[in-house]
Amino acid sequence: MGGPLLALGDVSFGYDGRPILQHLTFTIERGEFLALLGPNGAGKTTLLRGLLGLIPVLAGELRRGLDRRAPPPGYVPQRDTLDPIFPLSALEVVLMGTYARLSPLRPVGRRERRRAAECLAQVGLAALAPHPFWSLSGGQKQRVLIARALAAEPELLLLDEPTAGVDPGASAAIMETITRLNRERGLTVVLVTHHLRLLRPVVRSVIWVESGSATKGPPEVMLAPERIADVFGAVAAGG
Amino acid sequence: MSTLAEILSPDFLLRDALVGSVLVGVVCPLVGAYFVLRRMIFLGVALPQLSAAGIAASFVFFQLVVGPHEHGQVSERALAMAGAFVFTLGGLLVLAAFERRGRETVEARIGVTYAVAASLTILFLAADPHGDAQMVNLLKGDILATTSTSLAVLIAVFGAVAAVLFAFRKEFLLVSFDRDLAVVFGKRVGLWDGLLYLLIGVTISLGVMTAGPLVTFGFLVVPPLTARLVTHRMLSFSLVAAALGGACAFGGFYAAYRIDLPLGPAEVALASLLLAVVGAGAAVVRAAGRPA
Repeated sequence: MGGPLLALGDVSFGYDGRPILQHLTFTIERGEFLALLGPNGAGKTTLLRGLLGLIPVLAGELRRGLDRRAPPPGYVPQRDTLDPIFPLSALEVVLMGTYARLSPLRPVGRRERRRAAECLAQVGLAALAPHPFWSLSGGQKQRVLIARALAAEPELLLLDEPTAGVDPGASAAIMETITRLNRERGLTVVLVTHHLRLLRPVVRSVIWVESGSATKGPPEVMLAPERIADVFGAVAAGG
Repeated sequence: MSTLAEILSPDFLLRDALVGSVLVGVVCPLVGAYFVLRRMIFLGVALPQLSAAGIAASFVFFQLVVGPHEHGQVSERALAMAGAFVFTLGGLLVLAAFERRGRETVEARIGVTYAVAASLTILFLAADPHGDAQMVNLLKGDILATTSTSLAVLIAVFGAVAAVLFAFRKEFLLVSFDRDLAVVFGKRVGLWDGLLYLLIGVTISLGVMTAGPLVTFGFLVVPPLTARLVTHRMLSFSLVAAALGGACAFGGFYAAYRIDLPLGPAEVALASLLLAVVGAGAAVVRAAGRPA
C-alpha cells in the first residue's frame, strides 16, 4: 500500500472537547525518522496521543494509510507511567506486545514466546528475559519497552521521551537501537525527545509544536540555532 | 483421633463449612490480586460493606413490596444474594465512573462509600422488624451454616469466576498494566474493565454471604500482598496468592476448631501473621543484599 502512513488535514486534538492543538496539516511518510520538538507543555505528548488514536480528533481529518489487517502502531510510553507494583519479568512485558494479534481466548504460545525473545535480542537484552522488569536500570527498561513495541510487528513506532531520566551512555544506546530499526527495517519512527545532541545526526524531519499548533520541516530549518536557543537555551543550540 | 484427621474425614460434621471456607480463601485472592495491582485496596473495605447494605436493603424492599419473608429458606438467601450483588456492582460501577474523571479524591470517595454503606446497613436493619438474628447471621456471613446447596452454588460460581479470570488473564493484565497500549491495540477496554468488575462484584457478594465482610476483605487483600513479596511473575503471583489464601483458610479453620476460636477472625489473623512474617523475611533479604 503506497502513500503516507498518516495524513492530517486541518486536525484538532484536545481533551474533553477542548482543543489543545489546532489546524494540524502534515503527513508522515513511510520510513521517516521524525522528531516532535517544542517547549515544555506545548502539546508534544498530546500530538503523540492523537496520532496513536488515544484522544479523539476534534476537527479535521486524520487518514491512516495502513491496511485494516495491518498491525497497530508500536507504542513506547514514558516508563514512569507504568506502575512498579506489577510483578512482571522482562519477557512478560515484551510478550504484551504480541497480544495485539491474539484473540481473547487464544493463549500466548510458543510462537509468541519466540517472537518476544527475538525482540529482546534485537534491543540487546536477550540475557535479561527472566529478570524482574522493575529491577532493570532505566535504560534497560526503556529498551524492554521498545522490544515490546516491536513484538507487535508494527510499521510505525511512536516513542514518548525514550531517553528521559536515562544516563548519557544508555541514551546513546537507545538512540542507536531506534536508528538501526529505522535504517535496517525501514520502520517509521516518531519520537518526542529533548536530547537534541543525540537527535541531530539521525532525524530526517522535525515537527515543531508550539502555541497550539505544529509545523513540519527539515532538521536544518527546524533545528536552526536561533530557534533552539529561544526555547532550550544557548547550550542546547550549540550542542 | 487427632483434630487434623477428624476435620479431613469425609464424615466431618462441618465438612461443607470447611470446603466453603477454603474456596473463599482460594478465589478471593485471585480477584484480590487485581485489587492490589490496580491500587483499589480501599475498595476492598467499602465493597463488602456495600454488599452487606445490599443484603439488608433487599429484605426491606421485599417486606415493603411482598410482605414479611420466611427466615432460613433458600429463597431468603437468593434474595440476599441479589441485594448484595446489585449494591456491590452498582457501587463499583459508580466509583469506576468517578475514577475515570480523575484520581485526586479517590480515597475520599471510597471513604464516603464505606460510611454511607455502614450507615445504610444499620438503618435498613432497623427498618425491618422481622430481620432478626437470621439476617444478622447473613450479614455476618455465617460460614458454619453452609449447607450442601449453598456449597454447590459457591463451587459453581467461584469455579466460573476462576475460569474466566484464567481464560482472559492476558486481557485483564493488559488493561490493568497499560491501558493506553490496550487502546492502541484496539482492545475493548471498557468491556474488559466491565467484566473484571462483574467478577469482583460476584465474588464479593457471594464471599460476604458466605463468610462475611471481614473475611472477604481479608482474603481479597492480605494473601495477594504476601504473594507480591515473594513472586516476580504474574501467573506465579496469582497462584501463590490463591494457595496462601487456601492454606490460611484451612489453617484458620483448624485453629478455630481446635481451640474454639471465632472462625473468620482466626482465618484473617493467620493470613495477617503470615504477611508479617514474610514481610519481615523479605526486608531482611533486601537488607542483606544491599551494599554496605
